[in-house]
Amino acid sequence: MRLWLILFKKEFKESLRNFKWLWIPLVLILLGIMQPVTSYFLPDILESFGDLPEGAILNFPVPTAAQVLAETIGQFNQIGVLIIVLAFMGIITGERNKGTNVMVLVKPVPFSTYITTKWVHMSLLMISAFLLGFLIALYYTFELIGTVPMSHVFKGMLVYCLWLLFITSILLLFSVLFNSTAAVAALTLGTTITLSLLSSLTPKLMAWSPGMLVSHTFRFFETGSAGDGFWLAAIITAVIIFISLVASTYIFKNKEVVSHTT
Amino acid sequence: MKVESFINDLQSVPWSLVAPIIILSFILMVIAFIDCFKHGRTNGPQWVWILVIVFINIAGPIAYFIFGRRND
Repeated sequence: MRLWLILFKKEFKESLRNFKWLWIPLVLILLGIMQPVTSYFLPDILESFGDLPEGAILNFPVPTAAQVLAETIGQFNQIGVLIIVLAFMGIITGERNKGTNVMVLVKPVPFSTYITTKWVHMSLLMISAFLLGFLIALYYTFELIGTVPMSHVFKGMLVYCLWLLFITSILLLFSVLFNSTAAVAALTLGTTITLSLLSSLTPKLMAWSPGMLVSHTFRFFETGSAGDGFWLAAIITAVIIFISLVASTYIFKNKEVVSHTT
Repeated sequence: MKVESFINDLQSVPWSLVAPIIILSFILMVIAFIDCFKHGRTNGPQWVWILVIVFINIAGPIAYFIFGRRND
C-alpha cells in the first residue's frame, strides 16, 4: 500500500507540473458556464443575427432546467471527452516510447500497482474536473432557468461518473495495447462515439451497452428514476471496467517482459 | 450618433453573466503563456505557439497544452 501511494504521488506531481490539474478543470468550467448562458440567450442571439423576414414569429419553447443540464452533459460528452482523451493518450505509450517507465519498473513494482495508480489518478482528475464544471453549470441553470430536485441531479451525476470510468479504463487498455498515441486516441474516441451513437439510434438493441448510461443520466435528470434496463447497462459497464483493468495488467506484463528479455 | 449607439450596445451586454467567461479564458491564456515562455520546449517554434495562445481564444491555450508542450 505504501508503494501504491508513492507511485500515486508521482503521477499526481507529474500532472501538477504539466498543469493538467489546472487547465483541464478550467476548460470544463468554461464549458459548464457557456452552455446554460447560450441556452438562456438563444432567442436573443437568433433575433440579432438571423435575418428573419418581417413578421416571422419566433416561438421557441423555453427549455426546462433538466433539458439544459442534459445539453451541458452532451457538450461535456463531446468536447470534454475529446480533450481528456487527447490529454491522456500518452499515459503509457508516451512513457514506453521515451523509455522512462523502465526507471520505475526496474524496482520491484508490481505491474498491477503501476497500472492501477495510473488509472485511479486519471479517473480522479477526470471526475473532479467534470464535477466542477457541472456544479458551475448547475449554479447557472438554477439562477437563469429553473430548478431540478437535487436528488435527481445527484443520481444522474453518479450514473454519468460510471460512464467516465468506462472511458478511462478503455483508454488505459488501448494505450497498453498500442504503441502509437494517435491510435490510442482514435480508438478510444471511436469506441465511445460509436457506442453512444448506436445507443441513441437503437436503444432496444443496445440496452446492455455502456453508451446507454448517458441517456439514463438524462432520464434521471428529468424523472429521478431509472429507465428500463438501467441495471443491466450499469452492471455490464462495471464488468467491462474490471475486465479491461485486469487485461491491461496482463498484457502490460507480457509486453514488458518480452521487450526486456529479447 | 454612432458612439452613442455603441455605448448603448455595450450597456445591453449582460456583463454579470459574460464576465466569468472572459476572466476564466484570460486566466487560461495567462497560464499557457507563462508556461510556454518559461518551459520553452515546444513542438515547433516557440513564437508561433505564443501567437496561438494569445490570439486564439480558449482553443489556443488548449491546443498548446495538448500538442505544443513537450513533456520531457
